[in-house]
Amino acid sequence: MLNRTLGCLFALLLGLSGVVMAEGTDGAQYIEDKGCVGCHGKDGNAMLMGAPKLGGQKAGYIVKSLMDYKSGARNNAIMSGFATALSEEEMEAIAEYFEEQPSTLTVPKH
Amino acid sequence: MYLLPLGLTGRGRSDKVSLQIFTGESNVQNISKFIWSIAVILGCIAGSASAEGDATAGKQKNALCQGCHGIKDFKMAYPKVYPVPKIGGQNVDYLVSALKAYRDGDRANETMHAIAADLSDQDIEDLAAYYSAVQ
Repeated sequence: MLNRTLGCLFALLLGLSGVVMAEGTDGAQYIEDKGCVGCHGKDGNAMLMGAPKLGGQKAGYIVKSLMDYKSGARNNAIMSGFATALSEEEMEAIAEYFEEQPSTLTVPKH
Repeated sequence: MYLLPLGLTGRGRSDKVSLQIFTGESNVQNISKFIWSIAVILGCIAGSASAEGDATAGKQKNALCQGCHGIKDFKMAYPKVYPVPKIGGQNVDYLVSALKAYRDGDRANETMHAIAADLSDQDIEDLAAYYSAVQ
């Protein structure tokens, strides 16, 4: 009885740790697989093709932008294609990844 | 032929005491042509310089911007709740294109459209110059 209980708890913890680990690495993988690095760079700050800096940007804003590109609410021939290929979970992972990157973006005091 | 606006036709008259590159009837005409040419060139340079953004001017115009973008974690409430973006240090060309898109309605956001509607091209360049450089 005790062994089974412990066994179940152990399996549960193993499963949960898998979820936590996956969240940490997904964003870094997605930006390579989904083509973000091509213009935004690995840290989001490349600014190629007129791209805005994303390093340190608010994740919620990045998600909102990607969803608008996907729905067409925001028109951009380049971003439309990239965003259409993303699910909401992927958008959130990518956005959280960029928010954690080294940043020169600020909330100015004046 | 491209030197004609400067009066440099290459047909200066050697019997006159003048800048031989100009073809005016007298020294006074030659010199005034020369001065006008320089004035036109300087005018062109000055005109293009003022089109670029002036960060100092931008700082004078940014009170409305600071109302949202100057507050940490400020969120837009309508139509959806999401954080306003950090704009300090952003790509200057991106800031210009974003403000113009909000002003012209290419990018749909009622709040930003209302704020950008009163901005001239120069205002936009100045604000972008300020925010792209601010710490």
